[in-house]
Amino acid sequence: MNAKELKQVKEQLKEGHFPQWMVTDPDIYKLEQDKIFAKTWLFIGHESEVKEPGDYVTRMMAEDPVLMMKNKQGEINVFLNSCSHRGTRLCTEDYGNKKAHTCPYHGWTYSLDGDLIGVVAGNKVFGEKMDKGDWGLRPIPRVESYQGMIFGNLDPEAEPLEDYLGNMKWYFDIMLGRSDGGMEVWGVPHRWVAKANWKMTSENFAADPYHVQTTHRSAVELELTPKDPMYASYGHQVVLDNGHGINVITSETGRSRLKYQGMPEDMWPMFERNLTENQQEVFSRVTNFVGGVFPNLSFISTQSGSEGNGHNHLNFRVWRPLGPDKIEILVWFMIDKALPYEFKKKSYRGFLNTFGAAGTLEQDDTENWARIVEASQGKMARDRSLNYNNVINYLMGFDNLEPDKEFPGPGTAYPSCYTDHIARSMHRYWLSLITADMEEEEKV
Amino acid sequence: MNAQLQYEVEQFYYHEAYLLDHRRYEDWLNLLADDIQYAMPLRVTVDNKEGSNINENMTYLDERKPDLELRVERLFTKSAWVDNPATRQRHYIHNVVIHEGEAPEEYHVHSCFLYKRSRSSEIETEELFGEREDVLRKTEGKFTIVSRRIYPDQPVLTVKNLAMFL
Ligand code: FES
Ligand SMILES: [Fe+2]
Repeated sequence: MNAKELKQVKEQLKEGHFPQWMVTDPDIYKLEQDKIFAKTWLFIGHESEVKEPGDYVTRMMAEDPVLMMKNKQGEINVFLNSCSHRGTRLCTEDYGNKKAHTCPYHGWTYSLDGDLIGVVAGNKVFGEKMDKGDWGLRPIPRVESYQGMIFGNLDPEAEPLEDYLGNMKWYFDIMLGRSDGGMEVWGVPHRWVAKANWKMTSENFAADPYHVQTTHRSAVELELTPKDPMYASYGHQVVLDNGHGINVITSETGRSRLKYQGMPEDMWPMFERNLTENQQEVFSRVTNFVGGVFPNLSFISTQSGSEGNGHNHLNFRVWRPLGPDKIEILVWFMIDKALPYEFKKKSYRGFLNTFGAAGTLEQDDTENWARIVEASQGKMARDRSLNYNNVINYLMGFDNLEPDKEFPGPGTAYPSCYTDHIARSMHRYWLSLITADMEEEEKV
Repeated sequence: MNAQLQYEVEQFYYHEAYLLDHRRYEDWLNLLADDIQYAMPLRVTVDNKEGSNINENMTYLDERKPDLELRVERLFTKSAWVDNPATRQRHYIHNVVIHEGEAPEEYHVHSCFLYKRSRSSEIETEELFGEREDVLRKTEGKFTIVSRRIYPDQPVLTVKNLAMFL
């Protein structure tokens, strides 16, 4: 991006526009890899996925394969899943339990702490210069967790995870910290590949309840959701730190049909013990929490079921970029450990019906995300000088919505979820990251 | 297993595939028993010594008949964008192997599937493949599907959604 383009992009963002060429541009994608995915906190997994010493899962942090495992002391460490000898992928499985990991190429063996503990024919073939202590698995520079959610960061200088999450933590406490014993991941994540750009999918969850009335209109046709086209707007859109955001969707009355998203009444005293009064207030009114942690972790906490028989379900998802127009979607279904099994099972089936690869709501999202990238790759859409008015529209709430000072949670809360405040905040943060070292070199 | 039964089961599957390919989902529902269990667990990569590489704890689908009826009803709404424009799809069912079931006129049937889909004028097509384990029941000369478990071969599916029936 040259200085002139940068200046123009900044002006456009100020006007509530986003240049369409930036959605799928390969150079922008490269910048995102270097300046965003190598420098921000990326979600790896939940602590309940590695319960016992020796338990491990393999994941990808954007393009880096990682191995997350629990050692004998019960600590969770994350390493590059690449043998220190010649770089072979060390562990090929998705998950399991092992006492040590042995590389299939020349047989080097690593302990649960990532130390190199076995070199085939070591003494016979390697001399003094080879010090096993230098050749352990390479740790991900920073690994930290909050409410059981484990994140990694490739930047050793990154600010602490808790600072990065900032005021999102308050909402994580409600979704993940309300129950004694916390949450657990049910089984393993759904995984599939979709044609989409990661920014558009992140934005869809973090910032776009406005799509619900049309993309998911089939649910209205089936009378599963209200006819009122404003129904997903009721509540607050809350702009949080560092490009994060959450929509606290209630209903026309400002309350949910079911208190605490339909969770069993005998758990309410526990919530009241674990949450502050303001958190209880927000949690008791919410129908759906839907939001995102920048760059590519999103979540929705919603409820299914008929009158008086609601059960909430929560899923977290990562939109892993595989290219400017391709993502891998990973979806974790999470549930309070403290819930009775029968309730969990109902929540699980409610989740499967609506979200995940076969979810009836998710299906139509994937269809529309594909249509964005299909229509954004031609000469007009990709014109960097913006000769064709090739900017996309984020004008909702631009000059007609004031923050609601009375909202009990942190962040800047707007009294409608049909607004582009979070999206504009994501764009500003995104631009500040991809242009981080640029400005000195190319004074605008 | 006699040749006649093999022929009948294969013909049943061809008929089923025909209905699905042609989006005659309501007719397809008639092939399903009222107490059908229809599930699609996840394929995972685990240490081979553990035997199975299916994770039964997580499924993409875990449906009873009313769930499937609702899915079908949804596909016939005006705004189910996965099927609007209409999907072009083929179900290729093959390697049908039949075993006697627990009850008379009940059969455990193993088959393989290859599913291909084309959307709008996109040049790329999507595919999904794997195996199915069915329990079929024959009553008054007609088969119904009592149970179906669908095992995809890929741990990361290369279809952008699972809006199809397999
Ligand atoms: S590459 Fe792993 S032991 Fe040689
Ligand atoms: Fe959606």
